[in-house]
Amino acid sequence: MDKDVVISVENISKKFRVYIDKGSQLKERMLFKERNRYEDRPVLKDISFSVRKGEAIGLVGHNGCGKSTTLKLLTRIMYPDSGKITMKGRVVALIELGAGFHPDMSGRENIYFNAAIFGLSRKEIDDKVEDIIAFSELEEFIDNPVRTYSSGMYTRLAFSVAISIDADILLIDEILAVGDAGFQAKCFNRLKQIKAQGTTIVIVSHSLGQIEEICDRSYWIHEGLIKSEGKPVDVHEQYLDYIADYRQEVAAKEVQRQESKRIAAEKKAEEAEAEAALNSEENDQKESTASSEQAQDNSGEEIEPTAEELVSARKGDGTVIVKKVLMYNSNNVAQTIFKTDDKIRVDIDIEVKSDKEQAIGVAIGFLRLDGVLCYSTNTLIDGYTVDRSKGKKMISFEVDKLSFLPGGYATDVAIVNEDGSICDYLSNALSFEMICKHHDSGVFRLNHSWRSSSEE
Amino acid sequence: MIKEIYAYREMIFSMVQKDLRGRYKGSFLGFLWTFINPLLQLLVYNLVFSIILRSGVDKYYLFLFVALIPWIFFSSAITGGSVSVIAQKDLVKKIYFPNEVIPISYVTSCFVNMLLGFVVVIGVVIYSGVHISPLALLCLPVVMIVEYFLALGIAMITSAVTVYFRDLEHILTIIAMAWMYITPVVYDIEICPTEYRWIMHINPMTSVIIAFRDILYYGRVPEMMTLLEAVVLGVVFLLIGCLVFRKLKRRFAEEL
Repeated sequence: MDKDVVISVENISKKFRVYIDKGSQLKERMLFKERNRYEDRPVLKDISFSVRKGEAIGLVGHNGCGKSTTLKLLTRIMYPDSGKITMKGRVVALIELGAGFHPDMSGRENIYFNAAIFGLSRKEIDDKVEDIIAFSELEEFIDNPVRTYSSGMYTRLAFSVAISIDADILLIDEILAVGDAGFQAKCFNRLKQIKAQGTTIVIVSHSLGQIEEICDRSYWIHEGLIKSEGKPVDVHEQYLDYIADYRQEVAAKEVQRQESKRIAAEKKAEEAEAEAALNSEENDQKESTASSEQAQDNSGEEIEPTAEELVSARKGDGTVIVKKVLMYNSNNVAQTIFKTDDKIRVDIDIEVKSDKEQAIGVAIGFLRLDGVLCYSTNTLIDGYTVDRSKGKKMISFEVDKLSFLPGGYATDVAIVNEDGSICDYLSNALSFEMICKHHDSGVFRLNHSWRSSSEE
Repeated sequence: MIKEIYAYREMIFSMVQKDLRGRYKGSFLGFLWTFINPLLQLLVYNLVFSIILRSGVDKYYLFLFVALIPWIFFSSAITGGSVSVIAQKDLVKKIYFPNEVIPISYVTSCFVNMLLGFVVVIGVVIYSGVHISPLALLCLPVVMIVEYFLALGIAMITSAVTVYFRDLEHILTIIAMAWMYITPVVYDIEICPTEYRWIMHINPMTSVIIAFRDILYYGRVPEMMTLLEAVVLGVVFLLIGCLVFRKLKRRFAEEL
């Protein structure tokens, strides 16, 4: 092994036992033999990597991919089923911060106990205790019992202890959820400092930006295997691509589920209507007209409002109505999640109910969920003529690059007359989500480049 | 492994301190219970064995007391020790540290309790007027350490096994009671029929208790054979305990 390598992980695998119905009592073990059956669920299949002294690596992956298990194996809380892990030097894990805290003891006493759990001697702790208290910014409260602390103070204290220990290897799981923004920045800077001093760092995080900032390499763990490794920016790009596809899949499933639910509801409504009609017929035969009218009214209330009724609840004169709005990706699949700069198409089904002299315009607007209007236009502005003859038609709105930045968006669709009066206005006709692997911020991505020149 | 546990000595120290401080926390007599409890037990056994079941042993209270205090240490170490790892499951599951620290701390805190109990024992010995040779007194720490090893070895086994098999905790209270009666604590080994004496001798506590009684009741240096037997058994049990614990601790985080 290279002498610079401080963490070496060779072909490790780990299975968890999932008990079908576990009994840990003698009676249960004897009487219900079948209860001791368990399934082996493989979490890590074959993971190998090595980290040199002073390097920082990040482990990324979706929930349950095995990245936290990998970290637990590195801390030696758990052991791999097969394979070998070699680590050199003192390992400190910032995983469960404050796990050893005793609520009745004071902050200071807890520093001593917590540092002792990390394997420090009393003398070492004595030397550090003032630094720890100063870093935590809890001087005023340090002699109060920690049960009186707020949760933010609690984690601040725990983090201060863990980060003050001179570790050779630092293992971190979702670090910077500590305290307020100011304290987070402080922790992050401290981490960079520690790295500069030659400590090897392994980070598990969902905050890819943090990993990119501090790590030299990233490993994408997927279903117990390393799917990709390399420069964080490159690995994260692949990972985010995967996540986007996955999210789109989930969203498509959700659309399907909603659709089948809607169909089922419609069917039910139809049945109810049919039944009601039947009832009223019977009533007609038997009773007076008054009571039958009442029965009809009642049955009418139970039926869900139909599309037509919804339309009547909308703004506008109803001479032209919007029937359906769907958004498609470049592969012609209807979706509600898109990546920034995707090519998209919005199909608007409309129905012209009555002829009029006036021309109509189809308007579309995109609003961010906080209500900011991001973009809006209509066919009249763009000089595109929509045929106003009676009947159903479909208008498509195409965008080569939808450059909205990540977040939730709503689409408003409206049909207007040339004079500005509204035929139909459908607010929040379609909501969608944008995702992106870059970290720029704002509403849009501007198509841009950077250049520099120095003055002579 | 020893090196690592040495590095964690501060943790052991804190845990022992926490345990001793917490033991009688909130009770009216507090720390005094460390002394009152064995004295009351002594009173009960003394009443039974010198008034009802007359044993005919001279100074029975002393005969009993010098064996009872070490026995209480041993029995509380193995029964209480069995749940020590489970009691610390939050630590075991979340933080790495050599898990041996837990039974070591527990047994050590029981041991410190026994040492405090010995303050009373020495008082009773002086009151009784028994003369103890200085050489015999020198053997006392040796016997204590041997008993500590023995208790630690067994506590390591019970604490690790209980993680996988919780019933052991309850089974152990019965075992501890039975064990007391196959150890010459309340009676002299001489009254045990010879054909059953072998049971006594495979019991590692027998030689320890005999050694304590030799020193503090008879005031003499224990026989070489008794001491040797105790030392060998103590070391063997400690090694077995360490091996079992090391094997079983690998899955603690998953089982707890």
